[in-house]
Amino acid sequence: MQGVVVRALLTVMVVTMALAMPAYARDWWGAGEGRVFPAVADFPNEHGTLRVLLQDGPLDTRGHPFFEPLGPHGRACVTCHQPADAMSLSLASIRQQWQTAGARDPLFAPIDGANCPDLPHGERDSHSLLLDHGLFRIARPWPPRDHAGKAIKPDFDVDVIHDPTGCNLSPRWGLPSDDPHVSVYRRPRPVANLKYVLAMGFAIDGKRGLPLPLDPDTGKPVSGNLMADSRVLTLKAQMHDAARSHLGFFERLTPAQIERINDFEMRVFTAQQQNRLGDSLDAGGAEGGPAKLADSEPGRLGSQGIGVWSEFAPWERADDSSVTPERRALRESIARGARSFRERTFLIADSRGVNSPMGFGNPMRDRCALCHNMSQMGMDVAPGQVDLGTTTQPFADQQPHLPLFRITCKGEPHPHYGRVIHTHDPGYALTTGRCADVGRITLQSLRGLAARAPYFVNGTASTLREVVEYYDRRYSIGYTEQEIEDLVNLMSAL
Amino acid sequence: MQGRFWRFVAAAVLVNVAVAAPAEQQIKPVVEQVGEEVRFITCPIYRDTDAGRKSGCWLGDRRETGTRFDITGSPTKPDWNHAVLVEGRVVEGDTQQCGGVLLEPVRVSVLHDQNCTRHMLPAEGFTGRRFSLPTRNIRPLYEPRELPKPPYQEKSFDIPFDFGRDYIVYQLSDYYIDKAVKYAIDIDASRVEITGYAATTPTTVSGQTLREPAELALRRAEVAREWLRRMGYPLDRVKIRAQTKAKVSDMEGADGLTEPSRRRVTLRVIP
Ligand code: HEC
Ligand code: HEC
Repeated sequence: MQGVVVRALLTVMVVTMALAMPAYARDWWGAGEGRVFPAVADFPNEHGTLRVLLQDGPLDTRGHPFFEPLGPHGRACVTCHQPADAMSLSLASIRQQWQTAGARDPLFAPIDGANCPDLPHGERDSHSLLLDHGLFRIARPWPPRDHAGKAIKPDFDVDVIHDPTGCNLSPRWGLPSDDPHVSVYRRPRPVANLKYVLAMGFAIDGKRGLPLPLDPDTGKPVSGNLMADSRVLTLKAQMHDAARSHLGFFERLTPAQIERINDFEMRVFTAQQQNRLGDSLDAGGAEGGPAKLADSEPGRLGSQGIGVWSEFAPWERADDSSVTPERRALRESIARGARSFRERTFLIADSRGVNSPMGFGNPMRDRCALCHNMSQMGMDVAPGQVDLGTTTQPFADQQPHLPLFRITCKGEPHPHYGRVIHTHDPGYALTTGRCADVGRITLQSLRGLAARAPYFVNGTASTLREVVEYYDRRYSIGYTEQEIEDLVNLMSAL
Repeated sequence: MQGRFWRFVAAAVLVNVAVAAPAEQQIKPVVEQVGEEVRFITCPIYRDTDAGRKSGCWLGDRRETGTRFDITGSPTKPDWNHAVLVEGRVVEGDTQQCGGVLLEPVRVSVLHDQNCTRHMLPAEGFTGRRFSLPTRNIRPLYEPRELPKPPYQEKSFDIPFDFGRDYIVYQLSDYYIDKAVKYAIDIDASRVEITGYAATTPTTVSGQTLREPAELALRRAEVAREWLRRMGYPLDRVKIRAQTKAKVSDMEGADGLTEPSRRRVTLRVIP
């Protein structure tokens, strides 16, 4: 009897470990390794091969501020923006790093690599959000400050309803402290293909009924598509934010350092290059992979030009007899997924940013490409702050491991949620101070997805299938098994 | 066997009739005349037609007369959780797309402080309206555009608004304000005078008294000023004013509708 239990336990452990361990070793790039960043690098993942391109040739990273540790934690930008993970950071890599290097690895620095900095360092439980969900702590000042640093008077109150990390009620780190902050927990966003993130397709932000926001430094308009909550408007402002918050580097980055980081960030492109059958995503007339991405004009609207993911249209009738039936079937599935992304309609309701205040109506019938509308990239051409519901009740999946805030609107109620809102991450509202912005999260790029699970700002979708299943629940789409499979195959090929 | 066959045929015919029904049915106004301008408050109904993206239908029942109107054409479409103020002109047109008497032009203003129970009808054989890009839209930055040629004229631009709102309506108001601001910048205007209007004089609609708050006039003017600022026009050359009890105007953006023509901002651009 006992033997059975032990054996059962052992099996469970083996299975759990197998799940926790990546299928193959990830190529970890540690801070200050001084490697040469090659012009082309390929990295395997469960869906095939990711390719990272560095335009204008290789880069010696010795002394380079993106790669060298800055500040007291021994971290560099590359610590959380790994080439093998499409310049984001996968949960698989985080777990591998915990297993091979342990809690002393700079990745797990308590400042944001623990659930709260005052938890006992090194214990797994203190780092559970990072190890289980791939989430870093992001501390936002409360009340918010605008992009020029001026305090904003918010039109809502925040109360902490549930605080599993202890950080929001902490007298040192939380709302009761002398320097009050709201702690939310987020996934890193990919630092690649940034010309698309910065591109301005239109001069206006239709979701606010105003022209694009202005960079307070230069007075010039910017895309408004950086970070989940748009708290910075330029790469430069982002660098200062990252240096302080993630690296603990409180000196100002020098103009030369800023220039070098900027230069690297604007040259790096990434996308999946091969599917899981080893078939190149730019074979047979298709135009997947990062080369096309690096060469194309950014910021174009798919519905008035090159259709989103039309890269794969030549595969709709993959009659190439030189490919195996298995490869042909996968090509066709990817192409069907692309068409579904552009054409399969469903009812989108109660999503602030599209259903209001824009006059599209609530509900509206539209497609994935309504929001993910930028050619080649699948982000939003306009500033993409949309409330998909990933962080806010009742649409958010259960996430008892995350803090829950009660937002009470003091002026006009929220058009979809009413006066009182429960959210795990108020998103854009932490930047604007407006209750109408609660739950709005900036759309990410959809490139390199295969290499950087889990997905959504809070990592609630651990696989691409779970992404589609979230949409299926959220908007009652009623996808067939085939449709789900096609969308998953498409997304794993981006 | 034969009996089953006939039952099958009968069922098929019945199904056909059910599907075809709307096409046969005459949808006519109960009381209203073609050409008449109507104004009413109601809870909107969404009809889930599907002719591709953005092809759903919006209906509004005018309770005073029992007429069901097709209000889909409004630049601002309803929110099924809130009442709407409908303002439009009765026209003869295709009633088979959505299943209501057509209003064209039509404006819908969402009344956020009045809740409705959401209601959705199935397509019931109606086709819906295929989406086509509204003619009043802002072009992307990457498209070349023509600059005005001297000698420059003084020009006035009117920007329409929904009832009670200062939001620049997408693919309507933005089209006009973008033109105004670009003109001011292109000709390096010496002055821009903004006047914000609010329709503060009470009117009675569907048994309710409607009036816009006085401070809305200034808020609308400030939104126009913010457009000038963000697009790079120097604010020391901008004068702003607010005016309540707004009068009817001949603003193009109201498409000849009386009450909507009061709710506006005017930008006078002086070379
Ligand atoms: C501890 C992990 C960590 C480190 C170290 C780090 N980042 Fe990040 N980075 C993140 C997270 C998390 C986000 C997303 C934050 C959010 O959305 O609120 C992010 C977002 C970004 C983005 C925004 C991308 C987009 O599309 O919005 C850029 C650019 C970026 N980081 C650059 C840097 C640079 C430059 C450095 C070094 C100075 C750096 N990061 C260091 C975790 C990190
Ligand atoms: C109403 C707008 C909207 C529609 C429609 C939409 N999305 Fe999204 N999508 C978003 C927003 C907003 C986010 C960011 C949310 C977050 O991170 O929590 C997002 C994020 C994603 C991500 C995660 C990217 C990442 O880096 O984690 C994927 C994948 C995605 N969407 C795929 C799809 C697919 C597939 C469809 C169609 C079934 C779709 N989206 C339809 C708004 C939309």
